[in-house]
Order: sequence, then C-alpha cells, then structure tokens
Amino acid sequence: MQECVQTRHVPIRNKVFKKASVLNKASIINYVVALLIILTMNFFIPRLMPGDPLQAIYGNEALLVMTPELQEELTHRFSLDRPLGEQYASYLLSLCRGDLGHSYYYNAPVLKVISGFLPWTLLLTGLALVISTLVGFFLGVESGSRRGRPLDQVLLGSIMLFSGFPDFFMGIMLLLFFGVFLSLVPLSGALTPYAGHSGLMLVADLLHHLALPLAALVLVRLTATYLLTRSTMITTLGEAFILTAKAKGCPERIIRYRHAGRNTLLPVVTAAGLQFAHLVTGTLFVEIVFSYPGLGSLLYKSLLTRDYPLMAGILLVLTVVVLTINLLLDVFYSKLDPRVAKCT
Amino acid sequence: MLTIKNLKASYNGLQILKDINLNLEKGQVLSVIGESGTGKTTLGRAVMGLLEGRCTGEILFKGKNLLTCPEEERRRIRGREIAMVFQNVEDGLHPLYSILYQVMEAVLIHGLTDKKAAEKRACEVLELVGLDNRRSLAYPHQLSGGEKQRALIALAVVNNPDILILDEPTASLDALTKAEIIAVLRRITREKASLVITHDISTAADLSTHMAVLYGGRIVELGATGDMLTGPRHAYTRGLLRSYPNMTTTKDLQGIPGRMSHHVEGCPFHPRCTQRIRICSAEAPLPAVEGNRLIACHRGGIVPLLEVRCSKSFGPLKVLQDVECILHEGETLALIGESGSGKTTLAKTVMGLLKADEEEIRLEGKKVTRRTIDFYKRIQMIFQNPGESISHRMNVLQTVKEPLDIHKTGNEEEKLERVRQVLNEVELPGDDAFLKKYPHHLSGGEAQRVAIARALVLNPKVLIADESTSALDASVQAKILKLMMNLQEKRGLSIMFITHDLALAKKISDRLAVLLKGRIVEEGPTSEIIYHPLHPYTRALIDYAPLLEDRSARPAGSRWARRTHSGTCGNSLQAAPRLKRPPSATSTGCPYANRCLAVKDRCLEERPELIACSPRKVACFYPPVDYKIQSN
Repeated sequence: MQECVQTRHVPIRNKVFKKASVLNKASIINYVVALLIILTMNFFIPRLMPGDPLQAIYGNEALLVMTPELQEELTHRFSLDRPLGEQYASYLLSLCRGDLGHSYYYNAPVLKVISGFLPWTLLLTGLALVISTLVGFFLGVESGSRRGRPLDQVLLGSIMLFSGFPDFFMGIMLLLFFGVFLSLVPLSGALTPYAGHSGLMLVADLLHHLALPLAALVLVRLTATYLLTRSTMITTLGEAFILTAKAKGCPERIIRYRHAGRNTLLPVVTAAGLQFAHLVTGTLFVEIVFSYPGLGSLLYKSLLTRDYPLMAGILLVLTVVVLTINLLLDVFYSKLDPRVAKCT
Repeated sequence: MLTIKNLKASYNGLQILKDINLNLEKGQVLSVIGESGTGKTTLGRAVMGLLEGRCTGEILFKGKNLLTCPEEERRRIRGREIAMVFQNVEDGLHPLYSILYQVMEAVLIHGLTDKKAAEKRACEVLELVGLDNRRSLAYPHQLSGGEKQRALIALAVVNNPDILILDEPTASLDALTKAEIIAVLRRITREKASLVITHDISTAADLSTHMAVLYGGRIVELGATGDMLTGPRHAYTRGLLRSYPNMTTTKDLQGIPGRMSHHVEGCPFHPRCTQRIRICSAEAPLPAVEGNRLIACHRGGIVPLLEVRCSKSFGPLKVLQDVECILHEGETLALIGESGSGKTTLAKTVMGLLKADEEEIRLEGKKVTRRTIDFYKRIQMIFQNPGESISHRMNVLQTVKEPLDIHKTGNEEEKLERVRQVLNEVELPGDDAFLKKYPHHLSGGEAQRVAIARALVLNPKVLIADESTSALDASVQAKILKLMMNLQEKRGLSIMFITHDLALAKKISDRLAVLLKGRIVEEGPTSEIIYHPLHPYTRALIDYAPLLEDRSARPAGSRWARRTHSGTCGNSLQAAPRLKRPPSATSTGCPYANRCLAVKDRCLEERPELIACSPRKVACFYPPVDYKIQSN
C-alpha cells in the first residue's frame, strides 16, 4: 500500500472521474498469494518432519491405537502413497471441498466442529475490534486536541496504566471484581444453558455473558488506538491545512473531526489491521479465562487432548479470518484515502 | 477599512512585532516586504486572529477592535470578511477532500445552508481563479503547485471578503505560473483591501499599490510602490533591492551586512546600518513623513554625503559649466563621458586640487569653505595611473602609512597595525617583505591596490576613483572592483566612479551621470539610463559600449545590430556623426548639436536645461516621443 503511494503518486488525469474500483487487483492478488503460501506451509510442514507423515498429522497416540486397515485408509485418503505433487493437489482439492480432516476426539469432521465455535469468537473479536477502535479514536481525538490540559492528562495517565496489563490478566481482574465479588455477571459461558430465551431476552442474555470478556479485550486494545490517535492528532493539528481550515472560519468541532480527525483515521485503520492478529491471540486467552465457547476454548481443549487435526484446522481458519479482516480494512482504507483509491 | 494601531505581538516573551501602524483602504494593495523573520507572517496572522502568541494594541476593522472581540465573533469574521492565503502551497489543502468540497465547505460554515447554491458559488470562484469543473473535482495530490495555489486563493475569496491577506502567494512557483497567479490576483484584489506578504519584491512590484518594508518588527519605510522601487530611501530598503536578482537593475548583487536579531535596542536596523550615529542605538526612530514616504530613521533615510555644484574654466575654455551632482551614502555614482568632457577636472575640483571658479560643496550637509585636514579624512581619491601616483621614493609601508602620519593618528605600532589591516582588506600580504617593496617592484594590480589601501587607510566615507582601473587588465580590474563593492557593502563607502567605460559603470553603479563638454546631459538610476537612454549622446555611448558577440549574425535592424547596420535603424545613432556646423566652445546651443542626427534649429540656438523626467533628468529638447517629460 505504502509503496504504491510512493511510486505511482500521480494518477492518470483522465481517470479522475472514473469511479475508482473498490479495491485494486494487485492487492487482491497479494492476499491470494499470502493464503497460498500459508496453505503450502501447512501442507509441507507435517511432511517434512522426520518419521511418518501420518504420525505428524495425527500425533503419536492416535497412531498407536490405529488399526492397520485404518492406517491404510488414511494413507490413501491423504494420498500419501502418491508423488508429492499429487498429494499437494489432492490437499488443495479437499480444502476446497471444506475437508479439514477428522477430529477423532469429537469424532466429527474438523470443519463441523469449528463452525460450532467460530461464531462466538467472531462476535467477540469483531465487537472488540470495532468498539476499541471507535472508543480509542474518540478519546484520542479529544485528548490530542487538548494536549497538556487536565482532561488529556487524566486520560493519558489512566489509559497508560491499562496498557501495561496483558489481556488475560485484565480478564482475571474483571472476573474477580465484577463476577466474583459483585456477582454482576455470569462467570462463564456465552448463554445461560437451557434457559430457552428468545428474541430480546436472548440478546440481553448474550450481552450479559459477553460484557466481561469484551471489556477485557477492549480495555487492553484501546490503549494502542488511543495513543496512536492522540499522537497523530497532535502532529496533524500542526499541519498547514489545519491552519487553512481555521482561516476559513471552521468551528473547533469541525476542525477536530472533519479536518484533523479524518486524517488521523488513516494510520488508525492501518494499525487496526496490523493489530488484528494480536487481538485474535488475545481473544484465545480471554476465552479460556471466561470459558467462553469460542475457538480459544476449542484450541485449548484440542491441545489437552492432542487432537492434531483440530488444532491445525483452527489455526488455518484463524489465519483465513485474519486475512479476510485485513482485506476488508484495505477496502475501507481505500474509501478513506483518495490517494490510495486512485492508485491503480 | 482596516486600521492597525500600535500593534505589538510576542511569542514566549520575544517581541516579534513592535509598534505597527498601518492603514488599509478599499482598492489598496499593500505589500509587506522584508527578510524572513522580520515578522511579516506574524502581522498577517495577527490580523486573522490566528496568532499563537500575545497581541496588544488595536486592529480596527469597520470600527471594531478585533483584538478584544470574543473568539466566536472572530471566527465568524474569519474567512467571510477577512480571509488569508497562507504560505506553503504543498500542505495547505486537506489531502482527503476534493477541491470543490473544500471550497464549498468555506461557504457552508458561514451560514449558507443550501448545498446547491454553495456548490454553484464554489464553481464560479474556481472558474474565476482558472480551475475548470474537471479540475475542481480532483484531490490535492492530483494538482500541480500552481493549481493548488489557485485552489487556495479560491478558498479565501469564495465568501468575497473585504480584506484579503496573501502570504507569499507566489513563492515556489515557476515564472510563468507566477505570472498567471499574479494576473488572477490582480483581478481579485481590485475591489478589496489587500495585504501581500512577500519576500519576493517582483511580486510586490507587480501586485501592490503601496509597499511597506518591515524590519525587526517595525515598519521602516512605507510609500507608493513605484516610488519605493526607483528611489528607496531607507538603507534597509536599498539593501533589499540591491540583493534581489531581477532583470531591471544592472548593478552586481550586493547583500546587507550582518544578521537580523530581535534583541536590539533602539533602531532595529542599526547594527547592520552603515550610516548609524549614536542616537540610533539609544532609541527607536519614530516614523515620519519625508516627501512622499514614511520613514523611520534618525537620519531621515539615506543621507546625501556629498553635494557638488561647481564651474571651472581654463582660460576661454569652459571645462565645467554649472555641474551639479549628489552622492548618497553607500552609493556608487558613475560619471561617464568621453575624454575631455571634464570628468577628471570635476574630481580634482572636488578634492581641492584645482581651484574652481565657482563652487558649492557640501559634505554631510555642511558647506565646505576650506579643505581642512578633516575634509580629507572623510574623502579620498584614487588617481588614474597607480604607477605614477605613488611616489617612487617610498615603499609600500611608507606610502600607506603617510596619511596616518599626516593625521597624527595613534603611535607607530598602531599605525603599522592599521596598515597591515588595510592591506589585508585589499587582499595584499601584510608581511615585512611586501611592506618594504617599492612601486617598481609591484605589478599594475598590486600598485593599484596599494593606492586603494592608501586611500582607505583613513577610513573615508567617500572615495573618488578616477579611471582607477583603466590601466589594468580585465581580470585584475574585476578583482579590484569586487573589492570596492565589498567595502561598499560592508561599511557603506560612497564611490564616485569616473570612467569612460559604460559597461563597467553598468555593473557597479547605482546612478549614472553623463557628462558632455562640462555639462551633465543625463542623470538617473543606472538601469533606467542603460535600458531607456533619452539623450542622443547617451544612446551613442551605449551603442558603442563593449559587447561580446558576433553582431553580424544578428538580424539587421535589431537592437544589437546597430553598429554594423547603422543606416537602417530609425532612432539610433549612425556610425560617423556628420558635422553640421563648425564646433564652437562658445556656442550658445546644445553641446551635442553638431553631432546630433535629430538636431533641429532650436538646438543650435538655445541650450536645453537639465529637466526632470522621472526618475531621471535629461537635457534635451526632443527626447524620444514615447517618453513624457514631466515639467518641473
């Protein structure tokens, strides 16, 4: 993205009025290449490990209880008796069919297991991303435009304090305080089991369970956005175009959001994309702390049970999620910045 | 419309503006010029109310003091009634909005709610500044520097403000774009009161009706633009003009010595001024009206150092007839003329080496009746032939030290020190071996430098140089002239340069006086005379001045082809002036009549007086028609 801005800075004049494509081809290709590389690594690593690839794919213990017939069948299924090229092709094909392998702990296809847990994780991380970015941005703008004044100092001080905590520690602290001492929120789960809520009640119950893990994630993620926004705000407010805006007679609020804020949003969006992967790992920990039925809990369980296919499947799904979110943010970014949008 | 009274502005205790008084009327374009750091931009921002620092005094706009206005009211004035275009075109526009949107916003925030109307108005203004519909939809990164500047101007004028402040509107634009922007601005500023802040004097000259020179947070000179450019009266203004490269003036670039500081007591310019006196460092001068100018200077601007009026005749031959000239401080006046025109006689008469029939000489305003020893301390002369003008019996030390002996300044050691110092100044070695050399040991260039050193050792204010470099070859001459120009820049040396070489005079002089048969026939700023000579004699001198080109390659009839194609050029002089009447020294007519091609009967009978033809003077009845002679 950055490179694109620098090297091809002047768009062809007559393209100004063509509606810029939402996202240029080059960056989609980038994502496809990234995905292929990840898939390839996922394919090769178990096969490059010493010993039997089946052992690497299914783990030692699974192999011990395996009957020769089953082993035969699995070998055939992974095309392990064929040349490497064919193996790779059949791996990709089975991925296309949605076949991520078989979880022997759950005794079900991995994809099916994951799809039961994935929505909860998406809900949690998605909300955490949106809320922490919005709140962090808002606080950063207000704080940055009041640099050195009391509100700025109080905000800066308290947010810096949070930034020191890891996500799971924040989760534990919140859980202890709100869940154990105050008993305001449930200690685990995503929904009250067997309550049979529907409609609004269901949403309320859902939010009730979501509040603490979400708060833990937002509070920790907030700091990065806040600090970035604040410092970018301070730089932007010194730019010449802010002076132009003042000379136009723009009211303070318009200068703060329409002029400085809009410009500040650019690095914030970029940073949100970069930090999303970090947020996902944070979510995994937080889910474990709150026993939230998401991929984090599932991964933890699969680790305990050494369910290798499940683990690999979870990691692959998470990778695809991270890539997708980054792609979406790129689309969003090109809407925000005309310099990038025209850069095709 | 806008009145600024006693405006002071400071940042962190550092006072940038000290007592600014200005008045701006509708239709006026006032340019504020000065070096960077003199407070030009601060002034603009103070009027806008966008100054970070503290302001005191009064800024009256339509009778209201803006400095005491509440912020909300100022905001409403900003951009609607007083608008400003800032310096720094590159970042002045928001990178994420289209030009049209940004211009529209300026309309919408001032109360207009109808988006369609706002868009229409924005389009009109963008059209006015030369950005069509297609360009106005573009984003800033798609525009060139000139287009960005146009967009910024559109932003400022979209609400039709009464007062427009332009901060370096043409900085960093190429010449053609600059000319287009200036054309746009001229159209726009016609109906407004405008303030143009710039260090680019040519922009100021093009745009403004009035010009104010700002130095150290004070206005040092203010007047009509044309007057200021042809006749700067404050030493700082003159320094600015001298250091500004342009196609009008011909003198080599000269700077202003020293550097600007805001921590100066008294007149802000006095540490760099070459004509300062004691009071300059004690108190700041108040602006006072001097002729058509407002000047803040204890000395009333650049002082006339030497005023000469004299006549001299050798027997029946009138060598100087009522010659009148003025030499200002820090200025070079070139006296030009063919041999026998009385140049050297004038110099010797001024020095008192020849007794004039009639003379009136004023040195620094005081009439000189007797050439006392003090007179020679202030005024020194370098003679035509350096080899001859230095005594053969004196070595370098004795030659240079002699004036010090005569004036009894200091003891022997101090004198030696001073001699070494002045030799160093003229770029000669000050070692003992050199000091013991005799004139015949020296080359022509060295001898001339010794002569200059002798003239400078008393630190005179006026130097009369009589053909002092004509005996030298060009490279040595160039060095010596550079030296004299440097001394002029550094200590405000006034030079009366007598030469027959017009090309040389063009490079080093501020003003030119053309001498013919003991009379000045044309006098004025050098560039004016060189580019637009009025007197036929001056034109002849210019036609015959040295050129470095193959003139036969030029098309016939062009300005450069005069000499080889003389018969074909209308106004210019022809190769061999014909004698119309026998020359007579006692003739009552124009001294040039017998050689002039455009001679008429009147020229033979009556002598033309030197009359003002702003900004110069000329003595001719029939100057070229395209010049209007102003009657006195």
